[in-house]
Amino acid sequence: MSALLGLDKVGKTFARGGLFSSRRVEAVKEVSFALRDETPEIFTVIGESGSGKSTLARMILGIHAPSSGSIRLAGQDVATYERRAFMAKVQPIFQNPFEAFNPLKQLDRYLFMTAERFGEATDRKAAEGRADEALKQVGLSLAEIAGRFPHELSGGQLQRVAIARALVARPRLIVADEPVSMVDASLRMSIVNLFGRLRDDLGLSIIYITHDLATAYYISDRLIIMQKGVVVEEGPARAVLSAPSHPYSRQLRDAVLTPDSAGAFRGGYPPKAVPASGAKP
Amino acid sequence: MSAAPDQTPVLQVHDLQAHFRTRYFGVNREVRAVDGVTFDVRRNEIYGLAGESSSGKTTLVKTIAGLLKPPLEMVGGSARFSFLPEWDAIGRAPPEVVRRIRWRHLSYIMQGSMNVLNPLRRIRHSFRDFAWRHLGGSKAEFDARAAAHLERVKLDPSVLAAYPHELSGGMRQRVTIALATICKPEFVIADEPTTALDVIVQKDVLGMIRSIQQEMGSSVLFITHDMGVQAALTDRLGIMYAGRLVEDGETPEIFERPLHPYTRHLIASLPRIGDVKQREGLDGTPPSLAAPPPGCRFHPRCPLAMPVCATTVPAMVETLPGHRAACHAVNPGAAA
Repeated sequence: MSALLGLDKVGKTFARGGLFSSRRVEAVKEVSFALRDETPEIFTVIGESGSGKSTLARMILGIHAPSSGSIRLAGQDVATYERRAFMAKVQPIFQNPFEAFNPLKQLDRYLFMTAERFGEATDRKAAEGRADEALKQVGLSLAEIAGRFPHELSGGQLQRVAIARALVARPRLIVADEPVSMVDASLRMSIVNLFGRLRDDLGLSIIYITHDLATAYYISDRLIIMQKGVVVEEGPARAVLSAPSHPYSRQLRDAVLTPDSAGAFRGGYPPKAVPASGAKP
Repeated sequence: MSAAPDQTPVLQVHDLQAHFRTRYFGVNREVRAVDGVTFDVRRNEIYGLAGESSSGKTTLVKTIAGLLKPPLEMVGGSARFSFLPEWDAIGRAPPEVVRRIRWRHLSYIMQGSMNVLNPLRRIRHSFRDFAWRHLGGSKAEFDARAAAHLERVKLDPSVLAAYPHELSGGMRQRVTIALATICKPEFVIADEPTTALDVIVQKDVLGMIRSIQQEMGSSVLFITHDMGVQAALTDRLGIMYAGRLVEDGETPEIFERPLHPYTRHLIASLPRIGDVKQREGLDGTPPSLAAPPPGCRFHPRCPLAMPVCATTVPAMVETLPGHRAACHAVNPGAAA
């Protein structure tokens, strides 16, 4: 029973203001959870803007050092890793694929660079092999992507390339920060289903950061709900979202609008209760 | 159900076409962002427009509101408002007529509240800049009116003295709603007004838009790609795909009996809490509007595609009472 990732009372405090009026903002307070090595899972972090979910992601990726507590990857403190060895194990996927890629750079170059830096590919041929393999895992191929620039692809395709780039390094863990919020509605579920396949077929663990409760319910195994840097509720995704116990989780769940919410606002303000989407008919 | 919306249309859009045209070094490019859209918005209703990014929603409302800037041009068709019967589109009316109409009869709620509110001026001054000339009266009278109106969106009158950065995102969006409705316009265009907000705040703001709309009896054209929001807020709903309207009708009817395969997919693919059924994305990608596919623009991705779909543009036909769709599989033999 070894932990792939273990967070122990992780906190992050930012200092704001200048020399004379410094204020301290606690973005993340005492967050603890662990992902098991032998059971790959999609672990969801739910929160609204300002809840600290992106700060948490950045700490797991080693971009920020935690102010308190420790983050351990495969038993070793993240801060003590050599950067390349770390990035070969943990890879990020960002929210907006149009911002993640340089518009003047061909997409395949990102894949080759990742293969050479973190994927132990020693020559171009090996890098191409790795890139093609990763692209096939996301339903694309190197023949389709080679020489293409970001503007030639749609948002959904581009996000697939971003996922393939992460897979090139053959990581153990992927940290995905709002990966589908910029993807067109008709393609969103293909990306979400892709995460499920990566977990089931490749045995990858994924930290899925989102504010969308419906996709979290659909795809994730466990989740935590964060409010102002604090974890207010955690547990198996479907159990928590079907019957949230913390008032904030309930408030979030009740604010989700679904096709079943027809006419919810006809009564004017304050709106009458939106039918809870988890309620049995 | 509330009282049935008045059937007389406030806005009649007929076969509207708006293209982006560029001419550089003798090379002409034309992007048909809105191509032959026809629909009505009735008095006292919220009409929703749904569609993916680059489906032409925003270009459509810009054209309707007369906010045309090159390279965007209105190429054909009409968008007639009941309060401006002499002109077949605001964009074709002279500037002094447009100035009289704007804000008094037609106002907007934009996505980014920070783009509307001047960051260097107090909210009070933004109100004066936008609405004083339309409402008249002394400065004190106007300020009192603005304060009273802010209370309708549950904001304290002290907000008038604040700068935009001192307010939260939800409060700012409520200020822009108050700003857009203080002149009691007949028609309000809301372009993704809640997309940047958190879900709990979003629910509040949507309730606010509905209650003010009901109080004034005005019409709202509400744009969002979020089908959950469309279901909860709108009375009628139009679905856009690649610059064309593919379906429209009463919102509950569309969610119960979607006709167009694209609409069916949009609704079926929405995950819901409490439902573990497998959801699928749609293969392929939305077409480029610079070179759209011939015939029905959805046919390369459509599960029901037939040979006719690749050659003939389907007409928008009233398939069920009050429920139109543009699809050869649903309306055999109806060509545009």
